[in-house]
Amino acid sequence: MSKFGSLYVNGNSFFHKLNPSVKLLIFILWSITVFAFLDLRMGLLLLAVGLLMLSYAQIPFNIARNLFIAVIIFNLINAIFIVLIAPDYGVKLSGQETLLLNIAGFKIYFETCMYVLVISLKYLSLLPIALIFIFTTHPSEFASSLNSIGLPYKLAYTFNIIFRYFPDIQNEFKTIAYAQAARGISFGKDEKSFLKRVKNLFGIMIPLINSALFRIDSITNAMDLRSFGKKTKRTWYNQTKFTKKDIICVIVSLAVFALFISYKILFSITFNYKLF
Amino acid sequence: MKQPIIKFENFSFKYQSLQEYTLKSINLEIFEGEKVLITGRSGSGKSTILHCLNGIIPFANTGDIEGDLTISELEPHKTSIFEISKKVGTILQDQDSQFIGMSVGEDTAFSMENDAVPLDKMKQKVVDCLSLVGMEKFLERNPYELSGGQKQRVSLAGILTSSPEILVFDEPLANLDPASGKNVVQLIKEINKASGKTIVVVEHRIEEMLECGIDKVVVVDNGQIVKIGTPSEVLSSGIFEKLGIREPLYIDVMRYAGIDIGKEKISDLSSAVSSINDNIKNKITSYISSSQFNANQIKKHESEIALKIDNVSFSYDKNKPVLKNISFEIKKGEIVTVLGNNGTGKSTLSFLINGILKPDSGKIFLGTEEITHWSLKKRGQEIGLIMQNPNSMIVKGMILDELELGLKSLGHPKDTITKEVEAALKICELWPYRNWPVSALSYGQKKRVTIGSILTLKPKVIIMDEPTAGQDLMSYKLFMKFVKSLSAQGIAVILITHDLYLAVEYSTRSIVIADGEKIADDKPCAIFTMSNILRRANLKELSLTNLADAAGIDRETLISRFIASKGASL
Repeated sequence: MSKFGSLYVNGNSFFHKLNPSVKLLIFILWSITVFAFLDLRMGLLLLAVGLLMLSYAQIPFNIARNLFIAVIIFNLINAIFIVLIAPDYGVKLSGQETLLLNIAGFKIYFETCMYVLVISLKYLSLLPIALIFIFTTHPSEFASSLNSIGLPYKLAYTFNIIFRYFPDIQNEFKTIAYAQAARGISFGKDEKSFLKRVKNLFGIMIPLINSALFRIDSITNAMDLRSFGKKTKRTWYNQTKFTKKDIICVIVSLAVFALFISYKILFSITFNYKLF
Repeated sequence: MKQPIIKFENFSFKYQSLQEYTLKSINLEIFEGEKVLITGRSGSGKSTILHCLNGIIPFANTGDIEGDLTISELEPHKTSIFEISKKVGTILQDQDSQFIGMSVGEDTAFSMENDAVPLDKMKQKVVDCLSLVGMEKFLERNPYELSGGQKQRVSLAGILTSSPEILVFDEPLANLDPASGKNVVQLIKEINKASGKTIVVVEHRIEEMLECGIDKVVVVDNGQIVKIGTPSEVLSSGIFEKLGIREPLYIDVMRYAGIDIGKEKISDLSSAVSSINDNIKNKITSYISSSQFNANQIKKHESEIALKIDNVSFSYDKNKPVLKNISFEIKKGEIVTVLGNNGTGKSTLSFLINGILKPDSGKIFLGTEEITHWSLKKRGQEIGLIMQNPNSMIVKGMILDELELGLKSLGHPKDTITKEVEAALKICELWPYRNWPVSALSYGQKKRVTIGSILTLKPKVIIMDEPTAGQDLMSYKLFMKFVKSLSAQGIAVILITHDLYLAVEYSTRSIVIADGEKIADDKPCAIFTMSNILRRANLKELSLTNLADAAGIDRETLISRFIASKGASL
């Protein structure tokens, strides 16, 4: 059934051409930066830069849009829970107290609201770079690139296979789910009880795991029969080389990262919700 | 005297996990450049022989080996799977999982990548090998987007890069529509002719394989070789009939016509046309006109309509319609086959009928009631869908639990469930096994479990996707007898298939879909005389039509006479 073979979307943007290892490095540095700061300014900056980068990456709009909606919904739920469970968390962090609302003794503070906003910005600012990494990286090129920076090729190939068969498993999941839904075992809107939905979902794991195991067996045989693992080295049809552009990108991202981290260490701000 | 390139001497093999030997004292010699067909029933050990040739045994599947096997001066079990793969190239049955690369080019290069061939040399060889199989224009394409026949070509190119002396094919025709199958058979013939490579094919579709000019047929049964010979020798020996393996249809006709194939001394039995001589022609002519034949033997069906598809269109993507204005009716108790090429929308059609997908336009009626807007859950109780692979439908470990699941989740009372499940188990002949775990059942029995679990819901229509794929003739016949018993109870059965035998032997009507349109809706025997329809739908003419032409008999008469004989013998 699979027509796509992977999550990779063909294109020839700057990011498609960037060496996959460099993309991985940027993704890691970006994530560390996001988690190091609890700062409104940083969140806005990273989100803005991320969105700008995303607009150049030629990723289909509807895929990006759906994921953004999903993350925003997740953030909203997360935000509501924080405000309900720890309404004075922002107050503790900032040492300031500004009462916004007092609903029958339940107090909502400005600081906590800002804390929730900053946290949401953090999650959101991770999304563009993750999208770029997943959708512009050709799995085979990624594997070949990881191998070229010293990762054993068998391990590198594992990443390739995971990326490669993820959509297949997804399709299989759909098929199995449909077959069950047709005989009344649904975990969609058809089923009113939430508990039953979860129970039904676990039920279809058995055929899904069976089919995945079967698939692994056939792939292993196919790879064995075509000499995978014969030598200590292998060459790559989709070989990637480090270009000047890649090296410049590495230097620039390391420099910016160093700048951010030294700022963090020098000023050691735990929580900032002010723009200026 | 030539030296054999493959030689089994008193060779036996036992899988680690089994008590009994799967191969028992095999003796077989295959010479360079030969085309050899290994055939037999499911579980006969034919695939095990193939796995011994390509090194899967003993390197991936371990076990005990006795006796000797030499492949081109190599003793496979004493070397490594890599050494063997240089000598023996394998084209696997499961087309989709044998693709490892993400593009045709990358997949073709896989074996060279593992051999650390430098990039420029690799790219050149990829193009060379793809040209050999006529696929050089598809270099950048995703292998998944190719047709079944093209996939086979690409996997062959990938094998050719390592220049093996021997090519082994594991059921190359499984999952292929008839025309693509014919194409692959032709390709095997060409490769053998051009390169002189030794070809070993394991396949149970004998009639189609014979078209590539097989030199030697090896019949395996119960782990032993029971017959080796030229196609004519093996066909005339009657071994296939004895073992219950499907013979070419023209051989079937000759038997019905009272021709003793063993005594006739026909020099070449490998195709319908080459088998014909004057004596045979006369016998077939008198068979056709014999008085037992009664065109009205085909039984009349109840006239009440079970399902009506009215002008249904569907597309996943607005620019590419998958189905265009499809209309047809199915009566109660009818068995209808839907025929067509892979990817013409046959599965989409079954999803539309079942309710998994909603049509863009058009209506679907169950009896006289319109059900286009019914929910999947509601429709599922009236229209059951049986998927090709039972393993992707069964969710419970025990047979009884699996059958009870549907009714339980619909909230029926306990005594109704017990009653319905008992009835379904009995219809499916699974009653004695009701407390067994599903894993202990054969493939055909699992298939019955999936049907049983649908039957508990008392559907009016059952759709089966490739119901007989992967079953040998014996289980196929048993299974189809069971399907007939369902239709006798008034259930309308839709079989989605590209098995032409199935259409001819068991269905009352065939609907042919090509490029998303219905191009024919008629009695199967009539459809198989319409060359233009067959060509458009990527179906293939039955050897019966060739036989009819060679004997100078009307095609439809021969086919319907043949069906009548079949019907009488079932």
